[in-house]
Amino acid sequence: MSSQQRHIDVAGLIIALLLLALAGVVWWDMTKLQLLSPYDVGPKAMPVIVSIGLTVLAIGNGIGALRGNLPDRERLDWKPIILILGGLACLITLIAVGGGFMIGTAILFAATSTAFGRRAFLVDLLIGAVIAVFIYLLFAKLLTLSLPAGPLENLL
Amino acid sequence: MEAFVSLASGLSVAIQPMNLLFALIGVLLGTAVGVLPGIGPALTVALLLPITFKLDPAGSIIMFAGIYYGGMYGGSTTAILINTPGESASMATALEGNLMAKAGRGGPALATSAIGSFVAGTFATFGLALLAPYLVDLAVRFGPEDYFALMCVAFVTVSATFGDSPVRGLTSLFIGLALGLVGIDILSGQSRLSFGVPELYDNIEVTTLAVGLFAVGEALYVASRRHVHEEKLEAVRGSLWMTKEDWKRSWKPWLRGTFYGFPIGALPAGGAEIPTFLSYATEKKLTKHPEDFGKGAIEGVAGPEAANNASAAGTLVPLLTLGLPTSATAAMMLAGFQQYGLNPGPLLFAEKPDLVWGLIASLFIANAMLLVLNLPLVGLWVRLLAIPQPWLYAGILVFATMGTIAANPSPVELIMLTVFGVLGFLMRRFDFPIAPVVVGLILGPVAESQLRRALSISLGDPMVLLQSPISATLLAIALIALVLPFVMKGLGRFKAVED
Amino acid sequence: MSQLRKSLWRGALAAAAVAGFVTSAAAQMELKIMAPAAPGGGWDQTARSMQQALTQAGIAKSVQVSNVPGAGGSIGIAQLVNNSKGDGNQLMVMGYVMVGALLTNKSPITLDQTTPIARLTSEYEAIVVPADSPIKSVKELAEAIKADPAKVTWAGGSAGGVDHIAAALFAKAAGADPTKINYIPFSGGGEALAAILGGKVTAGISGYGEFESQIKAGKLRLLGLSSPADKATAELPSIKAQGVDLEIANWRAVVAPPGISADEKKALTDAMDKMAKSKEWQEILKAKGWQDSYLSGDDFAKLLNEEVARTKEVLTAVGLVKS
Repeated sequence: MSSQQRHIDVAGLIIALLLLALAGVVWWDMTKLQLLSPYDVGPKAMPVIVSIGLTVLAIGNGIGALRGNLPDRERLDWKPIILILGGLACLITLIAVGGGFMIGTAILFAATSTAFGRRAFLVDLLIGAVIAVFIYLLFAKLLTLSLPAGPLENLL
Repeated sequence: MEAFVSLASGLSVAIQPMNLLFALIGVLLGTAVGVLPGIGPALTVALLLPITFKLDPAGSIIMFAGIYYGGMYGGSTTAILINTPGESASMATALEGNLMAKAGRGGPALATSAIGSFVAGTFATFGLALLAPYLVDLAVRFGPEDYFALMCVAFVTVSATFGDSPVRGLTSLFIGLALGLVGIDILSGQSRLSFGVPELYDNIEVTTLAVGLFAVGEALYVASRRHVHEEKLEAVRGSLWMTKEDWKRSWKPWLRGTFYGFPIGALPAGGAEIPTFLSYATEKKLTKHPEDFGKGAIEGVAGPEAANNASAAGTLVPLLTLGLPTSATAAMMLAGFQQYGLNPGPLLFAEKPDLVWGLIASLFIANAMLLVLNLPLVGLWVRLLAIPQPWLYAGILVFATMGTIAANPSPVELIMLTVFGVLGFLMRRFDFPIAPVVVGLILGPVAESQLRRALSISLGDPMVLLQSPISATLLAIALIALVLPFVMKGLGRFKAVED
Repeated sequence: MSQLRKSLWRGALAAAAVAGFVTSAAAQMELKIMAPAAPGGGWDQTARSMQQALTQAGIAKSVQVSNVPGAGGSIGIAQLVNNSKGDGNQLMVMGYVMVGALLTNKSPITLDQTTPIARLTSEYEAIVVPADSPIKSVKELAEAIKADPAKVTWAGGSAGGVDHIAAALFAKAAGADPTKINYIPFSGGGEALAAILGGKVTAGISGYGEFESQIKAGKLRLLGLSSPADKATAELPSIKAQGVDLEIANWRAVVAPPGISADEKKALTDAMDKMAKSKEWQEILKAKGWQDSYLSGDDFAKLLNEEVARTKEVLTAVGLVKS
């Protein structure tokens, strides 16, 4: 990737653009605020500073990318990332629809361990479930905290 | 001298077998809870309040003190071992501590953290016993302008966490500052960067950001690189215990950390995060082994851990002398006092001396107990790293998500955790330093609101920053710290030319 | 086994007959109380104290507390109205702070959509000054604020909260422009108190409990409480009795979801009536230092409406709510 001395780094340029976009969002959000107290510099001052700072840094990062002086990166293996994020998405969805956290936690556990190269999904699913039950008992019974409950939690 | 007599009588209260038992239960519970991110000592004390209602006041307050200190310990253990700071105050510890653990030096890291906490806790508790009345006078004199000046010092010194490239470091810091804007602006009551999502009104939780960036981000990063870079974790390489060299490198950071943590913790808006970062920055500057920073330097664990624990004792200064709760845990302890009809404040020392000194003495006991409990456990904790990698990271993710939903059972909080995880992954991949993001989130809102308060009080006159002697001194320190490196560099060049 | 159960059931019936049918029906109650805040805060403590009192006094068979934190209760109330509609066993703790928070957060859900059950506790606001302040009375403070509202700095809780509203109402009653008050919000806990003790601000305004021990120790001077004039005593003077017409209380209450039947509403109200009178609840109130201000039924519903209207007016005046 860095065989050439002056190689334009596309990812670096995208980062610069994202920073610029973030600066824009901060600025746009600022314009909707009102100055209320007559004595306070107001809620707009900080977003203005942050927005200007981000713009300057976007330019700085852009120049760096054009010079190609970003560090080397290895080829990315997407599969494990998708597995882990998928596990997290399962957990979030299950909690959102009222499926409880136990099934989700078990899936997250198994998905992550698969992402790290284990080939025993069902066994890991079981281990994850055991951990979830343990955590549930600790939180719900000992500390009387209410964790998102679903069909499985209501059995315990 | 009077203080020593009182302390001795306090010790006699604290070493009653029942009270020792309460202290033991407290530190055990605190440690167990401290290892879970999101579930801090404050929450535990809150949930245990109804249970302890039936105990006698001395016993239950001693137990709360144990939970408080135990929580501090537990938070650092996970920060070092699995890069998951149990609370925001253990963030600085995670920076070097986790690197040490990965290099097989988890044992010394945990040991220096345990002993450092003990040393700091002991000195700070002495400070609490002897200096509380004087410190508290100074603490209430600290106005908004002085806090702002303190934040300026903190901003300048945290550049130590920036890594090699100032542009990248500042980019991370500004991302953190932008995240710090999210939520309701405390001074005007208006919401910023919330896009009408009510879950965002309450600002971004520091632990959610830290756990997302550190733990989830790292899990994603390590998983994505498995095919090129098999990470081999050795639980123990070299000595499990601290070597003579480790001791030599640790004791000064312990003392300096205490010196930062205790007074700043005693300030009503001081907190534990700022002293830990100040300590980290100082140790990085003063170390004789600068090459170790970024690879696991023991000074970077010893200092912040001491600062963390000393600030815990510091927060008890305003709590006991004024009834000012300056941290969430202190607020819960206040509630604990109140349920027995005790009002911490100027009168408590006079009305219930046995209780106050019993509490202070039990802090000593809790500290000693934690040391005795934790040192033998170091070997066991370190074995955690010997768990097969798939299970270790799966367990870390389960821990991270559980802690988050136990504190706030909403999918939005988990989505934030995931987004921060992805952010942490991308920042690792493109070599942006991670700590400045969290630093920005912590310091940004405080600096902003304190400056605006100062200007409101002075009716917009910025000279207020220079009129207060405390603020003027701190600003001068910040300026010197900012300019000095350049001046030194210039001088060096000048000398080189002269030669 | 069934024999045993049958005889138990018969025993229970007999007991119910003795105690009266209503008691037995209530004791079967399986209540759920939601605290629209994180564990540890005031609403959570109220919910957990209710749980303790209701079960120990035998008013409910079981009480489950859940926490739905966020945005001053906006998230909790949305969940109550949307997900618990018609659930006659669900309650939610709320308070005056939520009235303001729903308005400033532009919440699509309003309190009209809930079923008001009862107010439980109240706390009056206290106005204090540092012990060495030249201001000695409510009247002097009122004159100072009338002369130049900018020079009178107030320390209190978050913007749009009860402290802020009370300060604005004070200025208005004193004849000053409430939009011109120099109110400085602090983030909870002791920060505001430290600023007052350190003499950084002119006056402090917050719940009396926040200041109590400092007042008793002589470090703060209490100018007055936002209590009705007839409740004033020598130690606890009222602001109203000193000629400034300010009366406000920070109360906590319980509401039920929308769409519950009249019977269900009555059962919940009865349970609260009984709890408020119970020895267990009274002990908790004493231990926590909470002021009993029990008010149920239509009286509470009327109060709630009045408070919403007044709060909206004040918040519009200071610009936090656009009319």
